[in-house]
Amino acid sequence: MEIVTASAAVGYIGKVEENSAKLYEDIAQKHPKDGETFLSLAKENRRNKKSIQYAYQGVISDKLEACFCFDNFDTDNYSIKTELPEGITYPDALRKLIDMEEKTQKFLLDAAKQSKSLVPDVSWIFERVGKKRTERIAKLRLMLDKIAK
Amino acid sequence: MTILEEPIKEVLTIKNYIGGEWVESKSEKILDVINPATQKVLAKVPVSTRGEIDEAVKVAKETFPMWRNTTPVARVRYLFRLKELMEEAFEEVSRVQTMEHGKTIDESRGETRRGIEMVEVATGIPSLMQGQLLEDIAVGIDEFAYRQPIGVFGIIGPFNFPFMVPLWFAPFAVACGNCIVVKPSSEDPISQTKIAELAEEAGIPPGVWNVVNGGRDVVTGMLEHPGIDGICFVGSTRVGRDVIYRKCGETGKRVIAQCGAKNFVLVMPDANLDRTIRSCMTSFYGNTGQRCLSGGNLVIVGEGLKEHEFNAFYEKIVNAFVKAASEIRVGYALDERVQMGPLRDKEKKQRLVGLVQKGVDEGAKLMLDGRNIKLIGDWPHDAFLNPSVFTEVTPDMYIAKEELFGPIANIMRVKTLDKAIEIIHNNPYGNASSIFTQNGKWTRKFVHEVKIGNVGINIGIVAPMAFFPFAGMKQSFYGVLHGQKESIDFFTDRKVVIQRWF
Repeated sequence: MEIVTASAAVGYIGKVEENSAKLYEDIAQKHPKDGETFLSLAKENRRNKKSIQYAYQGVISDKLEACFCFDNFDTDNYSIKTELPEGITYPDALRKLIDMEEKTQKFLLDAAKQSKSLVPDVSWIFERVGKKRTERIAKLRLMLDKIAK
Repeated sequence: MTILEEPIKEVLTIKNYIGGEWVESKSEKILDVINPATQKVLAKVPVSTRGEIDEAVKVAKETFPMWRNTTPVARVRYLFRLKELMEEAFEEVSRVQTMEHGKTIDESRGETRRGIEMVEVATGIPSLMQGQLLEDIAVGIDEFAYRQPIGVFGIIGPFNFPFMVPLWFAPFAVACGNCIVVKPSSEDPISQTKIAELAEEAGIPPGVWNVVNGGRDVVTGMLEHPGIDGICFVGSTRVGRDVIYRKCGETGKRVIAQCGAKNFVLVMPDANLDRTIRSCMTSFYGNTGQRCLSGGNLVIVGEGLKEHEFNAFYEKIVNAFVKAASEIRVGYALDERVQMGPLRDKEKKQRLVGLVQKGVDEGAKLMLDGRNIKLIGDWPHDAFLNPSVFTEVTPDMYIAKEELFGPIANIMRVKTLDKAIEIIHNNPYGNASSIFTQNGKWTRKFVHEVKIGNVGINIGIVAPMAFFPFAGMKQSFYGVLHGQKESIDFFTDRKVVIQRWF
């Protein structure tokens, strides 16, 4: 899906955050030992979604080029998957989650770069939420390392 | 991608809101409110009678003594609640705007935000409305001035910003202690019904905030009614100057008349090409060109360039502009891929189709013909027009002089900044103009010399915030400005008191 407008970018990432939250909630039920960590990640996903919406709705105005702030920006280039195959093993599930977080991070940081000069407040929140992904990825890697040991 | 969910599911019956009651009009004349993208009927709106506007003014007048004696602090608490409710309804009212007007969802949300900002600024009335005092203007004598509300104000809304424009005035009028009667555009009246519903939910007392739907009879009724103390109008210069301003002069009413425009956008040789072009797309084609701040004429200025350099620079800008305009995605604006929606209705489209032909007949070169309709999605073509671009436009052409109010851009070339300013000054309007450059000297000269109310520097749409005046000069504006301080002046009388105690 090609994204050209701020609305489409905000709407798309909102769906990714919501679907990621649901995914973490499901995994928390299946793997209660790490349940608390997964639930905290889900909570953060929902907080991110709200922060992005507030930033966008708080500054959107006809002075800004919201309908023209993205160029050659396609979600297909990121293929963020927020579902896990049935019967996947726990280590493989963690690997998929890391992949999802890395791709989401790349999407957010690329979106931030593209929208920087035209919709700076939205760009700033994309960047902030994107950078925070580093901690999430590290957390998931640590969990994977523990299992491997 | 799917279309965002439509908040209007069935045909609405628009009622008047008078004295806190939702009243069905007695008028036999009922108009359809049509979604310009789908051509489906969204609502039935009455063309209310003279008797109905008289009734609304009577109720507002009777309510005024109670409202003016409600303290400013108490009055703005209603507005705080209204703001909260508007935030809660943010997405719904934005989508309603897209459905009834056609603008993109980004543009509708921008309009909602700007409307809410007006309410936010008006909540500062307890500070903003304060007067002045000087002790001892003579020994034992003090003088002070304070502001008092005036009475009832009529607000006449345009079709192009169905949500925001009445909010340029309504919250300030009400916060200052006045009562209002709003007449929304009959083309897209649903947004003002939604706002009145929220005002009711916020608990604003019956009779303070009234809405009467209709057309010319309602406007004439407002203009001639002795119970109305002032009029706020946004629309064409012909109506604003020749009807509203003149009639308010005759009947002694205060008036804000924000009128037509023909805005120039200057591109200097050192402009950042990519950002300038994107900004121009918003300026010329945002809101489908239906706003008084839209760019109309793009002037490519060859200041300091040799002839061959200027030719190359001109070609580069024209090519980039035409390419970007040709790539604009047009369609039903609840589709988030869409960058430009339809015109408000098919009559407006037909008028613009005629103006494109007029440009051709006048000798301008049509580089991009928006009459060739290309849409995202399968929608009736009735109100859709794609972007058009003319080059070889001269200032004497009709398309260069008059406000077209649609997605048509005229490109001109001039050698110097002085010449560009001269062309702007020869145009009768003075609403907005912008310069795209990185050069401080050129910018300073432009800002200093140009006789234009709203000036942009690397900004394509010069829309002032709620806490600044919305300016306008020449034939773009008549009466008193609006904006934070100006609004307080407009909606209040000053009373000066000199006191001595024996």
